Amino acid sequence: MSIFLSLFKKELRTCFLSPIAYVVLFFFWVLTGLNFWWLLVQLADGESLTMATQQMFGGLICFSLLVIVPLITMRLFAEERKLGTLESLLTTPLTATELVLAKFAGALVFYLVLWLPVVAYTIIQQNLAPVEVHQFPDFGAIRAGVLGIMLVGGLYISIGLLMSSLTSNQIVAAISGFAVLCILFFAGLFMAYMASNPAARFFGQYVSTYAHLLDYSRGIVDSRSVVIYISYTVWFLFASVKVIESKRA
Amino acid sequence: MIKVSGVTKKYPGRLAVDHISFEVARGEIVGFLGPNGAGKTTTMRMLTGYLPMNSGRIEVAGYDVATQPKEVRRRIGYLPESCPLYPEMRVDEYLRFRAELKGVKPSARRAKINEVKEQCGLTEVGKRIIGQLSKGYRQRVGLADSLVHDPDLLVLDEPTVGLDPYQIRQVRELIKQLSEKHTILLCTHILPEVEAICERILIINEGKIVAADTEENLHRRLHACSIIEMEVKVDPAVATAKLGGMEGVDIRTANTLDGGWLWLELEADTSDMREELFNLAVTEGWALRELAEQEHSLEDTFVQITRNRESV
Repeated sequence: MSIFLSLFKKELRTCFLSPIAYVVLFFFWVLTGLNFWWLLVQLADGESLTMATQQMFGGLICFSLLVIVPLITMRLFAEERKLGTLESLLTTPLTATELVLAKFAGALVFYLVLWLPVVAYTIIQQNLAPVEVHQFPDFGAIRAGVLGIMLVGGLYISIGLLMSSLTSNQIVAAISGFAVLCILFFAGLFMAYMASNPAARFFGQYVSTYAHLLDYSRGIVDSRSVVIYISYTVWFLFASVKVIESKRA
Repeated sequence: MIKVSGVTKKYPGRLAVDHISFEVARGEIVGFLGPNGAGKTTTMRMLTGYLPMNSGRIEVAGYDVATQPKEVRRRIGYLPESCPLYPEMRVDEYLRFRAELKGVKPSARRAKINEVKEQCGLTEVGKRIIGQLSKGYRQRVGLADSLVHDPDLLVLDEPTVGLDPYQIRQVRELIKQLSEKHTILLCTHILPEVEAICERILIINEGKIVAADTEENLHRRLHACSIIEMEVKVDPAVATAKLGGMEGVDIRTANTLDGGWLWLELEADTSDMREELFNLAVTEGWALRELAEQEHSLEDTFVQITRNRESV
């Protein structure tokens, strides 16, 4: 446990010392800011209040995660391989599982920092709410939305982590992570919303992260999707552990 | 301390290490020599449990590398070849991180870090960022890292590569000091380093251990004859006739120098031939200004051993 903690602390420190972290933070915060501004404009035009939470967690922001997450994860193992520090790490009494979990946890914490503005937006919404509306913002939906972005983020990060463990080149790790996430995201999206075959549509609803995020931000927590996300995340982390254990030289 | 028996490592299409066996006793400093690509680094990596082996068995301090890797790693301080470090960390931060990973007790951590910093001459640079340090300092940070958990065995893969002559001397001095407390396996292809530090030498070539002995024994085994240099004032023809007539002496080279001096390189059965050569010069009335036996350098021995192997 103490080894995990020192690895985790080191991950966070390295993450916040890298310039990429701040570039990512800047763009993502600008994006969520614009998104929130657009939401306020729509609400002022008399749009229904129920779509507010959906727009905070779903919609356009979903697309940006496909780029943002590989940028966070590309460094994780590719850099260790490049510097040769993977060798000095794996010749200390730690296990590959501790290393993978620490990197995953570090990246997940940074990912949640990306979402911090949502806290501010929630407070702003609360203060802007008309007096006669008691149920705004809908905290139940917000809690479900936070769960949704954590589950989706966890899956994306575990995929990015696996891609990073396979190469010593950060660019390759980022691009392959982006490619896999795109396939996952758009295949689900097209099947769920555009396929003419009802069976495909039905299947698409099961796997589309876009559809899931919309559900969560409506306050619908479907245990089936929770199980899918957690089991796939565990599977990708397991695969990363195996890659680190076997691909050394 | 180290017991390697019948270890083989294959890479796709290439046999990197071919059934090697050797032992290193507690407290020894052993030089591990070999040309580039001979399998040195691969062997180090298998020893530290970084690379799995295809067959064979390695024991470190009585623990099997394959089945008890944690116990083994706890007892090895390993400085990999390229001395990998995190450039964005400070020296103190890095050493603390490594001490934590290696299970140095929190109560002893600070004292231990200060101790290795002092040993490696890093006291003044503790607050500096590693990426901004010179190569020499970085190498010392790597060395301090390998010492921080007080390992029984130090495995150093080319610790002086890329250093300037002054730094090389410092690192060598440090390794010598460390040998009082630790068993050391020093892997290098820089021969003077081995000559200066090591008690025993292992030579690996093309994945096989081709020699394992002390330096003197290696020389003795390889050089049955001795080379004697001689400078006398005599006509070359006379010298050739007289020396050629002696039992057990062959002239390898003869060069005439200014002032009638003649420089000879002789191959003799034993170094005792010097006395007979002196007597010859005296009886013949040759002026003699040099008579010396050539020291065999480790370089000669190394080249001979590794080349012999190639021709086999």
